[in-house]
Amino acid sequence: MKKYNKVTPEGTRDLLFEECLIRRYVEKTLTNVFSSRGFNEVVTPGMEFYDVFDPDFSGIGQEVMYKMSDHRGRLIVMRPDSTMPIARLTATRLQSLPKPIRLFYTQPIYRNNPALTGRSDETVQTGIELLGADGMRADLEVIVTAIEALSKCVPDFRFELGHAGFFRALAEQLPVSEDLREDIRRAIESKNYASLNLILDGLDESQQVTAMRTLPRLFGGEEVFKRAEPFCSGDQSGRMLEYLHELYNSLSRRGMSDKIIIDLGLVQRNDYYTNIVFSAYVEDCGDAVLLGGRYDNLLGCFDFPMPAIGFAINVDAISKIMLERGKLCTVLPSDVLVHGEAGFEIEALSYASTLIEKGLKCENSIFKTKAEALEYAKTRGIRRVDYIGDSIQIINLA
Amino acid sequence: MKPLRIALTKGRLENDTVALFEKIGFDCSAVRHKGRKLILPVGDNQFEVVLAKAADVITYVEHGVCDLGVVGKDTIMEQGSGFYEVLDLGFGKCKFAVAGPKNRDFFRGYSSKTIATKYPNVARNYFESKAMDIRIIKIEGSVELAPLLGLSDAIVDIVETGSTLKENGLEVIESICDISARLIVNAASLKIRKTEIESLVERMDRAKEENL
Repeated sequence: MKKYNKVTPEGTRDLLFEECLIRRYVEKTLTNVFSSRGFNEVVTPGMEFYDVFDPDFSGIGQEVMYKMSDHRGRLIVMRPDSTMPIARLTATRLQSLPKPIRLFYTQPIYRNNPALTGRSDETVQTGIELLGADGMRADLEVIVTAIEALSKCVPDFRFELGHAGFFRALAEQLPVSEDLREDIRRAIESKNYASLNLILDGLDESQQVTAMRTLPRLFGGEEVFKRAEPFCSGDQSGRMLEYLHELYNSLSRRGMSDKIIIDLGLVQRNDYYTNIVFSAYVEDCGDAVLLGGRYDNLLGCFDFPMPAIGFAINVDAISKIMLERGKLCTVLPSDVLVHGEAGFEIEALSYASTLIEKGLKCENSIFKTKAEALEYAKTRGIRRVDYIGDSIQIINLA
Repeated sequence: MKPLRIALTKGRLENDTVALFEKIGFDCSAVRHKGRKLILPVGDNQFEVVLAKAADVITYVEHGVCDLGVVGKDTIMEQGSGFYEVLDLGFGKCKFAVAGPKNRDFFRGYSSKTIATKYPNVARNYFESKAMDIRIIKIEGSVELAPLLGLSDAIVDIVETGSTLKENGLEVIESICDISARLIVNAASLKIRKTEIESLVERMDRAKEENL
């Protein structure tokens, strides 16, 4: 039988040296921003019950989840998302905590991608969730935290802001079937003007139809608000637009407007977001590096309703971009190689400990002879070798 | 800034797109006389054209290594979509259809049918939408052979004029949908290079209208 003991499963990989350094650097840089704003770290299990991610409210298709069963035959999945476990945790174990609750996490998610597409099935994400908080203050805090965190790693990102309810509010007024509405949603989501027009041409012209026609093109800078105004006067969509504009103005006051794109065609994605949604893009990366939004109904799925907002940053993508851009995280050789002569092995180890306490990076020689130790130090680029015997001899290599 | 990269499906769609570009006024001489090169400049280095097989056009655009792509709707339907499909270019027209031996009622009887196709996902989705259980066999070359040799009850394939079907005693049983070339855009590219991409799309749209 063929053995698969020398390769890793498709969609996974080993991380070596520089890749580990850059990943830790990214994690640390981002989570420092989170914790200095009062967010506290949590870790949720790598495996959870399938029911936590019920596709009905998670929007995660069952074919995407890695599944297995526990010893009682119950369906278990490898965590495909971190927000839902955190909602579960908050709705159960943190019920009595005063609100708002600020949490952050750094952990991998697992998704079963189609074969041979080069996508990772294991992705490390870090992110925050602000739970039990509603309104402009909470939204601004989370957006500013996202922008601040990204600025520390990939300052040239674009930040896209939309509203998941905007399409819904407009589409509700269309006199069409549920199926057709979903077709329209999908066409707007993929900015498929051709099929969108094909559907809309079949309907009687009205303000709503014109709005649908324009929606996928309603993205850009502040001018979007003006262009959208005629379609949403006074009603629900008008209030959403006003709210987005207010957010935009506040962010402009912090000098962030050049980074922000408003996209009203960010139609309610097939997921748990209810109000504002946002994502961030970086050149040289075909996918969003950050995804987030408000999800006011999710905690209700765990029988403890409360408003909440959060985002996740793709640590792997950021690390890859920074590595490619020459962000140097070099693996340095040890400062000293300590070689104990026969009979002085334990003394060599204690000697190394004293050097380490002084702040040096110290390797222990496992070779029998001095010559071998010296040779090893040369090939590894270690510039100093200390021999420990009856006396201590320090050799500095050029 | 790097030039925008556009992946073109080699062959007819490539030629039609180049014609469209020339109509807009882009200098395409490098593509016309390409030799064996696969990445070619267009205009005064505003764009780069990448020549690829249809399925690869989608792969390159999805991963963002090409910003835009020209590819048939057939390939988009087969390969799924994680990108924006912004323009129906109006050329490369044909349709997807279910075809089978003439004068045989495909839907008769209750035994589950076997379909030979180069487009297993299109076939699966279509019959799923009709709540029909079918067996799919993937064929790489001339799919018309499968029913003739008795391997399948019918085929799902692209039909242009229908003459290949006719010459082999097959006929269209049902049309699935119309197909034409599409301009697709990587989502991140559209966000980051909005103005450039929008202006290009608009010019292509205008040139295409004049074509009709």
